Amino acid sequence: MSHIYMPHQMEITEIIDETPDTRTLKLVFKDEGVRESFSFKAGQFGLFSVYGAGECTFDICSSPTWKDHIECCFRKVGKVTSALWRLEQGDLVGFRGPYGNWFPVDEFKGKNIVFIAGGIAFPPIRGVLWNCVDLRDQFKDITIVYGARTVSDLVYKYELEEWEKRDDVSLVKTVDPGGETPDWDGKIGFVPTVLEQAAPSSENAVALVCGPPIMIKFTLPVLTKLGFSDDRIYSTLENRMKCGVGKCGRCNIADVYVCKEGPVFTAEQMKVLPPEY
Amino acid sequence: MEHRTLAGDGLPALIDELIKKGMRVIAPTQRNGDLAFGQVSSSAEAVLDYFLCKRSAKEIVFPRTEAILGFDRSGGEVKVEPPSMQFPETVVVGARPCDAASLPILDHIFTWDCDDELFTRRREATTVIGLTCTTADNFCFCTSVGLSPDNTAGSDILLTQLEDGQFFVEVVTDKGEKLAAELGELFREGGDESARQKAGEKARALVTRSVDVSKAKGWLDDHFDDEMWESWMTCLGCGACTFVCPTCHCFDIVDEVQGLSGHRCKNWDACTFWHFTVHASGHNPRDVQYKRYRQRILHKFRYYKDRFGVTLCTGCGRCSRHCPVGIDIAEVLETAAGSAAS
Repeated sequence: MSHIYMPHQMEITEIIDETPDTRTLKLVFKDEGVRESFSFKAGQFGLFSVYGAGECTFDICSSPTWKDHIECCFRKVGKVTSALWRLEQGDLVGFRGPYGNWFPVDEFKGKNIVFIAGGIAFPPIRGVLWNCVDLRDQFKDITIVYGARTVSDLVYKYELEEWEKRDDVSLVKTVDPGGETPDWDGKIGFVPTVLEQAAPSSENAVALVCGPPIMIKFTLPVLTKLGFSDDRIYSTLENRMKCGVGKCGRCNIADVYVCKEGPVFTAEQMKVLPPEY
Repeated sequence: MEHRTLAGDGLPALIDELIKKGMRVIAPTQRNGDLAFGQVSSSAEAVLDYFLCKRSAKEIVFPRTEAILGFDRSGGEVKVEPPSMQFPETVVVGARPCDAASLPILDHIFTWDCDDELFTRRREATTVIGLTCTTADNFCFCTSVGLSPDNTAGSDILLTQLEDGQFFVEVVTDKGEKLAAELGELFREGGDESARQKAGEKARALVTRSVDVSKAKGWLDDHFDDEMWESWMTCLGCGACTFVCPTCHCFDIVDEVQGLSGHRCKNWDACTFWHFTVHASGHNPRDVQYKRYRQRILHKFRYYKDRFGVTLCTGCGRCSRHCPVGIDIAEVLETAAGSAAS
């Protein structure tokens, strides 16, 4: 007899340094049965833990189409992420999940998709992005607008190069003014501004947006201007969570449990919630 | 179910009989100078001529702290063990109706969508013998939230002392019936229902505070933003109200370490603490105290009701009684109801 808060054990198989304070962990379930049976959908999250430090909520930022491992990406900020930072390849990480809802990728079939992300909020977008790219034939145009404060704050730099080379994906990368380096070949400007200039068509399109609250705030009006209706704009809410399963009362906004009904919401759904995110 | 009667001096015998049968008996008892629900090893330790325990009975099924797993890295590789999920057969004797009623209210949160087995296992192992109130104070307002000092909600058996001193034994649930059958010799078959009615009326008359909670909810439903909330800015964010509350159930999950081993614990938390919702980035959706206090009120009287159909409050008045700055929850509701009227 176990209980809902009992984690699975995962082994770190690879550590990738993304920025000076941001890291990706590749993780594999220790238990073969779990490894075989585990599945999730893009946008779902998990509680990742270090025994002795505690649990932390991260989106699973790999694609559900990758069957052999999952990934999480975190910035070293607090107690748990600092403990995660100290771990090495082969070390154990606890994992509970997958939790929450997901991006309705099936509903995106036959549509143009615009992915918009800012800073460390690229990981949740990156999982669903790879999901769509792995099933490339099912979707029309794929556009990515990704920005960070500085060049060194961009995560997945190696993948940005890959996106740039592909002709079935169009990438617009940008850094905030002042964040560029002499050899920077992307745009210079804030994400909302750059998005407006890139002006992806809203015709038969959906937009997925993840970023800091301030970026979301200024991006939504741009999307509206471009013709995206609120029900075709998807984002995730990053309310603090502890249990992940609708019990601990931490993430709720009105009677909505972000960990259960979210973290993925349309702009239409978010606008009727009290501003507690 | 068949009602029964217990002799006026039968409560100690009842407790001792349960202990003799090997059950864990929890009753109001003296703990460090306060009255608290705790295990008693004989009826002499139980205090049943009482008003309310300082803390509620929720900790019997939802402890203040409990290990959800143990870990040990003394052997190199981390070993992780779940806790024992065997909970002893427990009988709570003498819970007041406002404490007993909290249990079915908490069932909603801990069983919707998926079961929190740490809660449900304890709950299944627990039988509640409630005790109709004989006193109340001006903070009590159970009759405003659909309960009463002689309400059976959450009790498996409710004892009501009659005018002649005997207890009317109201068997409420199958669990109660099973226990009553086991205690057969202590109970006399049948009970004086009209005397029970009379005792109930007397108990209900003790609660003089009355708030129109449904009217208050009507106001809360569309006044998330209102200057009224800022008048509760006096809230210190100490969390005392949530700790003594029978229905507050927010919790944290934290690792507690000693040397190379330790436990991951599920600990009570409070939405009124400033750091409850703060993000890793420092952004806090409830950035000032009145927003945190508003959350407590709205969660109890609006959100939980909308979500699960019940109010997250039993009207015990503990939060008002223990608030260091004198915030009275009934007054908050009266203000909301009053605003609805005007």
